[in-house]
Amino acid sequence: MAAAPDINQYKEYARRYGIAAAPESVSRLTQLVARQDCCTDEIVRVIEKDPGLSSRLLRVANPGASDESEYTVGTVDEALMRNGIGCALLLAMGTPLSLALIKTFQTMLSLKLESVDVHQLDTLRDTHMRGSIGFAGKVTGHVYLRMSSDSGKAIAANILGLEPAELGNDEIRDAAGELLNIMTGNFKSNLCDAGLDCKLQPPKVGMTDDLSTPVEPGGGLERLAFCAGPIQIFVDVTANPWND
Amino acid sequence: MATKILSVDDSRTIRLIVGKAFRPYNVTLVEAANGEEGLVVAAREKPELIILDVTMPVMDGVTMLAKLKEDPELKAIPVIMLTAESGRENVLQIARLGVRDYLVKPFKEDQLIEKAMRCVTLEKRPVPTPV
Repeated sequence: MAAAPDINQYKEYARRYGIAAAPESVSRLTQLVARQDCCTDEIVRVIEKDPGLSSRLLRVANPGASDESEYTVGTVDEALMRNGIGCALLLAMGTPLSLALIKTFQTMLSLKLESVDVHQLDTLRDTHMRGSIGFAGKVTGHVYLRMSSDSGKAIAANILGLEPAELGNDEIRDAAGELLNIMTGNFKSNLCDAGLDCKLQPPKVGMTDDLSTPVEPGGGLERLAFCAGPIQIFVDVTANPWND
Repeated sequence: MATKILSVDDSRTIRLIVGKAFRPYNVTLVEAANGEEGLVVAAREKPELIILDVTMPVMDGVTMLAKLKEDPELKAIPVIMLTAESGRENVLQIARLGVRDYLVKPFKEDQLIEKAMRCVTLEKRPVPTPV
């Protein structure tokens, strides 16, 4: 109960500075996931109330399926029973991350980025740009951002208001690293507010032809995909809750 | 006389965006890539406003803000935090240290200018007349 004055004070500062809160369903879900003694029924109720969260959970619970007709896990309850609470944590992280990425494109690039099914995009082949950022604490994991060189160049050019030909590799890498920072900073705030304290590591960006995504022992993986015209972005989130 | 503003961010992308936002105004922008550099530049340049990131290598923005507020010569300089982190603990800690304003990334250049104008006077650069 001692935290109440802090929460009220935070609300006052958030109002003063114009800081927007995370969606209610996401905040609630993160708070539930953060409690190791929470019963699954409560988590099921929160997810079932939000069609977006429900459909994403089923996608995470059916990693091999290319569409809903191939799902072997069909309900939220079953998905949590079979895959554990880590699945719900991925949802709690993926939502602020997606919102931040879409908002970044809207506000800083004036581009409408859409969330699409991973299978709707061309698969990345050969050498591509990969950025990663790790987070460690009560929850441990990584966020990976992958895109073609052309997409990386188009994004950097748009953010900086330059022509793609004017950009060097350093500018392209730095812009991709900043995109990662913005995305992960937003979901980290949500995790910390729910009691899952963690710290971000500096982003690493480079070229690779390795398409594999390492998953932490006992953790889960969620794959997200986005497009804006010819720009295609793949985001992988891996997480392992209650690392301590 | 130009308004001197210090931008402290480890991301060159953000420093370029901040520079672009202030380009229409009579502003001299000085830069630093982390808190330690930021303190040195702040002491040397005595800016009228500091725009400060939180997560940076070497010295983070919260530590730099705390050190600024301990320095009698620098503590009155208004600081706007520019960060992707808006968690409760972060905001409370930063607000209690005495930050003037807080802008969450992603941001529009207009939002930064609006918040800067609450701290300092920004005059438009004269548009060069065509010859």
